[in-house]
Amino acid sequence: MALPLYYNWRNLFVRKLSTSLTFAVVATLVLVLCVLLSFAAGIRASLAVSGWPQNVLVLKPGATAESTSIITPDEKGRVVQAPGIAHGADGKMLISEELCTQTSIPRRAGEHNMANVAVRGVDATAFGVHPEVKIIEGRRFEPGQLEVIVGKAARDRFDNLGIGGEVRLGRQGNRLYKVVGVFETGGGAFDSEIWGGRTQISDSFNRHFISSAVLRLDDAAEAAAAISYLNGPFVALESKRETEYYEDLSKTTRDIVALTTVLIAIMSIGAAFAVANTMYAAVDGRRREIAMLRTIGFGRGAIILSFVTESLLVCMTACLFGLAGAMFFSGTRQDFLSNSTWTVLAYELKITPTIALGSLGLACLVGVIGAIAPALRASRVHVIEALRKA
Amino acid sequence: MSAADIVATSVRKVYHKDRIEIPVLDGLSLKIDAGEFVVLMGPSGSGKSTLLHLIGGLDSPTSGSIRVGEYNLERMTERELTAWRSRHVGFIFQMYHLVPVLTAAQNVELPLLLFKMSSAERRERVATALKVVGLADRTDHRPNQLSGGQEQRVAIARAIVTDPDVILADEPTGDLDAKTSEEILALLNLLNSEFNKTILMVTHDPRAASHGQRVVHLEKGVLEREERNPARPAMAAS
Ligand SMILES: Nc1ncnc2c1ncn2[C@@H]1O[C@H](COP(=O)(O)OP(=O)(O)OP(=O)(O)O)[C@@H](O)[C@H]1O
Ligand SMILES: [Mg+2]
Repeated sequence: MALPLYYNWRNLFVRKLSTSLTFAVVATLVLVLCVLLSFAAGIRASLAVSGWPQNVLVLKPGATAESTSIITPDEKGRVVQAPGIAHGADGKMLISEELCTQTSIPRRAGEHNMANVAVRGVDATAFGVHPEVKIIEGRRFEPGQLEVIVGKAARDRFDNLGIGGEVRLGRQGNRLYKVVGVFETGGGAFDSEIWGGRTQISDSFNRHFISSAVLRLDDAAEAAAAISYLNGPFVALESKRETEYYEDLSKTTRDIVALTTVLIAIMSIGAAFAVANTMYAAVDGRRREIAMLRTIGFGRGAIILSFVTESLLVCMTACLFGLAGAMFFSGTRQDFLSNSTWTVLAYELKITPTIALGSLGLACLVGVIGAIAPALRASRVHVIEALRKA
Repeated sequence: MSAADIVATSVRKVYHKDRIEIPVLDGLSLKIDAGEFVVLMGPSGSGKSTLLHLIGGLDSPTSGSIRVGEYNLERMTERELTAWRSRHVGFIFQMYHLVPVLTAAQNVELPLLLFKMSSAERRERVATALKVVGLADRTDHRPNQLSGGQEQRVAIARAIVTDPDVILADEPTGDLDAKTSEEILALLNLLNSEFNKTILMVTHDPRAASHGQRVVHLEKGVLEREERNPARPAMAAS
């Protein structure tokens, strides 16, 4: 049987300074991890590589994103001659002309601040080109009406975007649109957008050129030919597979997450060293006690277990404190301005059970790894030498 | 549990220091009857503690054999010796070696945690042990709230709580004044006479030695002489 927990618990208070330093390090680690994990969860939509391999997105050369691109009617006329374009059920070519812009609208009640939302004006063909867009509530907008449909994530994030809600769009925010439907793409970037009829949006925002065109081809294998035509001298636009476009967009975000992950890893190693340091001090201060325990019949295993337990006690309590700290800050939103779409990816510090478990897991890992070497040293204490009077 | 006898035969213990052999025990033989109270004396460095550690299974002799009751220690692994100690040997040290963060009762309870035993039974055993040493009213005190004599009593309670058959005491009164020493020795006497424990006690103090039934003198690694205490005849023989 093992040594009792209260034995370890009380020993923690013997070396208060050393214990509290380790405690602070682990609690900070947990806090940073929570921030990273909720950040990662919040931007998952933009991380998701959406799009279709048979869709080709056409932009103005040099435009980094749809919202900074303009395609003139002349250019559009040449785009439609690209090879391999598929036809919809109604016999029309599957080319979606899209107008991308953004506007600032209020967030959900209780947070009286504004944030940017992407607004996309599309025609009915858009639903053929982007079949992943599914209406989950209400209906599609009527062309020519002041009606919009909203992505599920946008509805959750902004104020008054439920069915029947109203939203001010336009250059001066002077047009009142009615929300008639909610759509979902299964985690894609569209989920954070507002879609309306292209001519209406064009009118409201006073933008007369489309931003992009998306071509749906019969087959993904034909994309290369279409792209070489579109990027060639006759059309001179910049086209990409839709999948490739989203991949590029999410790259920055992924880089940030990767960087923070490296930071967490380095912090974890540092924390493990802090734990090891504290535990070594504990072992060295208790050599006689360990020798006595071995004398009265505690085995090496019981000694190892006891020191690992002691370390876990610090790390787990520190983890709870870190989580409590994160809870305290939770609800604070950080706007993460995507530099490619110029829209805000709202990120909220939110402690979900997954995040709490993940933090506890990391804290325990740090505790065990940091305690192993000191615990082994404790188990190897030379009993007779340690018992000798000083 | 009945007391065990101790038989050490031709025990040699050699330490190595810078490749030089230092024979601490040099073919020592000693027999202690079950229920006997033997005092071990000798100059500093003569190997008294070393012998006690060998008999307690904390170390192994370089050669020779040690038997305690039915156990031949030289045939046991470290793991077996550890388990054996927890059931059959009670150690008492000069420095008490109590855990400072635990109360008297919790210190006494420690060896019982290695037993399959209900917490109610543990509590009862701890209470009994503390009563035997006269500290029933100090159960919740921490070691730093106790006097040296009281600390040693707690240590004795810890040594007897498992009801061992052998008690090994290394200068148990070395840190105590004369009056407190007398009380501790009276307690050991009680354990020997009332509870029939076999006791081997190391001491430098001739007055302490007078409590044993037999005094053996260790010098240069061998038993130099021994004397029986006429005031305390051995009762094991009867
Ligand atoms: N690990 C070791 N390495 C080398 N020599 C040792 C070691 N342990 C003990 N010795 C030596 O063995 C001898 C006997 O030591 P021991 O502790 O048994 O003496 P003792 O009779 O108990 O003395 P004291 O009365 O001072 O407690 C001493 O000379 C000591 O230096
Ligand atoms: Mg000694």
